[in-house]
Amino acid sequence: MSRSSRAVVTMPKTAKKGEVFSIRAIVQHDMESGFRHTEQGVRVPRDIIRSFICTYNGNEVFKADLHSGVGSNPLFIFYAKADQSGTFEFKWQGDNNYLTIVNQAITVS
Amino acid sequence: MNQRRQFIVSLTALSLCPWQSANATPSEAMQAMQAIVGKSPVNTGRVYFELPPLVESGNLVSIKFSVDSPMTPTSYVRAIHIISEANPSPNVVSCYFTPLSGKAEASTRIRLADSQRVWALAQMSDGSFWRTSVDTVVTLSACTEMV
Amino acid sequence: MIKRQLAHLGVLCFVFVLAIPSYADQRQSTTALMTPSNQAMQKDINLNPALFWIMDGETLWGDRSNPAGKACVDCHQDVKQSMKGVAATFPKRVQGKLLNLEGQINQCRTSRQQAPAFAYESKPLLALSTLIAYQSRGLPIAASTDPAVEPDYKKGQSVYFQRIGQLNLSCAQCHDDRAGLKLASSTIPQGHPTAYPIYRIEWQGVGSLQRRLRNCVSAVRAEQYAYGSAELTALELYLMRRANGMQIESPGVRP
Repeated sequence: MSRSSRAVVTMPKTAKKGEVFSIRAIVQHDMESGFRHTEQGVRVPRDIIRSFICTYNGNEVFKADLHSGVGSNPLFIFYAKADQSGTFEFKWQGDNNYLTIVNQAITVS
Repeated sequence: MNQRRQFIVSLTALSLCPWQSANATPSEAMQAMQAIVGKSPVNTGRVYFELPPLVESGNLVSIKFSVDSPMTPTSYVRAIHIISEANPSPNVVSCYFTPLSGKAEASTRIRLADSQRVWALAQMSDGSFWRTSVDTVVTLSACTEMV
Repeated sequence: MIKRQLAHLGVLCFVFVLAIPSYADQRQSTTALMTPSNQAMQKDINLNPALFWIMDGETLWGDRSNPAGKACVDCHQDVKQSMKGVAATFPKRVQGKLLNLEGQINQCRTSRQQAPAFAYESKPLLALSTLIAYQSRGLPIAASTDPAVEPDYKKGQSVYFQRIGQLNLSCAQCHDDRAGLKLASSTIPQGHPTAYPIYRIEWQGVGSLQRRLRNCVSAVRAEQYAYGSAELTALELYLMRRANGMQIESPGVRP
């Protein structure tokens, strides 16, 4: 059983072939660093997203390895080159079986 | 003679231990970069790294980094690694690009534990490494919460 | 000759008119004091971490899992229509009691949904108040001018000017007398409630105006007023009147 949360992707629905456009992907996650302590001095265990992968018709466009130093509700703004019409897949994976996948289609003319 | 030398060595060892910092040190940051770079030389420059010089709260700091590159299959930026000198852990985030990225640029939001130097280390498709750093002052808001 | 004199007069009048704004509103939202990247984070809702609270609120808006089996949508329909401008008018008197937005949400919760009230700073209450406040984004604060709230307004005013705590400071001493000056490395804001609920980076989450007010009270080492107390709700009313007409920016981002 995997845990999941909301993710919002902002990118254009259409693009011209060869056009480079920006993509914004933000996901809801506390990103508990694992370095915090309770008032009793007990360490709060790490619970973060470890990786974010964006693929385009199955080909990798952008990937990130996240560590404890990434802030809550991780946001990535990055770029992609319009190649052909198809689907972008955004996948976030993390501690404690965390998995969120979002798909977004684009028409390239 | 030997006993005295042993005594001095053990005294020095004792003095170093208890004050080991809980946060990373510049040398740990260098080690983290060394682990990525291996035996290759590291050049300074070419990486554009935007980090505010004064941060109001270290919990969420917006950063942007990029390398000017044609991003063709023969000449592109493989990765940009963000390394911290004063966070509990030096590796913050590593971003990997491909020719399909079109542009080797990304923005994200990181945590900064303290005022420090932060590095952006870029790895190119030709195997070369380039890096730059930004120094920042991290403050806390004046009226912090007492739960 | 006369034409030239008239032209000069025209230019003088134009310059005078341009100078007039300097006499206008001296009030400033705390947003103006933030770094450009934090301002951008607030302005663009897709970059604003409070977006997830808005989305949680949207889900709750249609939630019928309460004893009465009623969701907000059943009475209020589309939140974008029915809640437009609503947050701008709170606190106000509802059935003889001064309520802020959270109080009104809870009144619906207990009377219409027959369910226990949400606790302050609980996820559902923050989600709903963020969703509703967001519908007032861009609209001016329209604080209650109902004559029935005058005693509450006066109470809020006295709380605002009351020196409290071990540091023996009143809100007015920082936020009226010393707004714009520095406290440690931060600029003291005027303290207008234009952006609540806020995603406070220090909290790593969304919180209400009352949470922020309690922060201030503990910062001067005074005993905090309870959530939903008459003092805090009256103070909210005073602050909204003080900020009357200013643009709402909810949900805000603050350091």
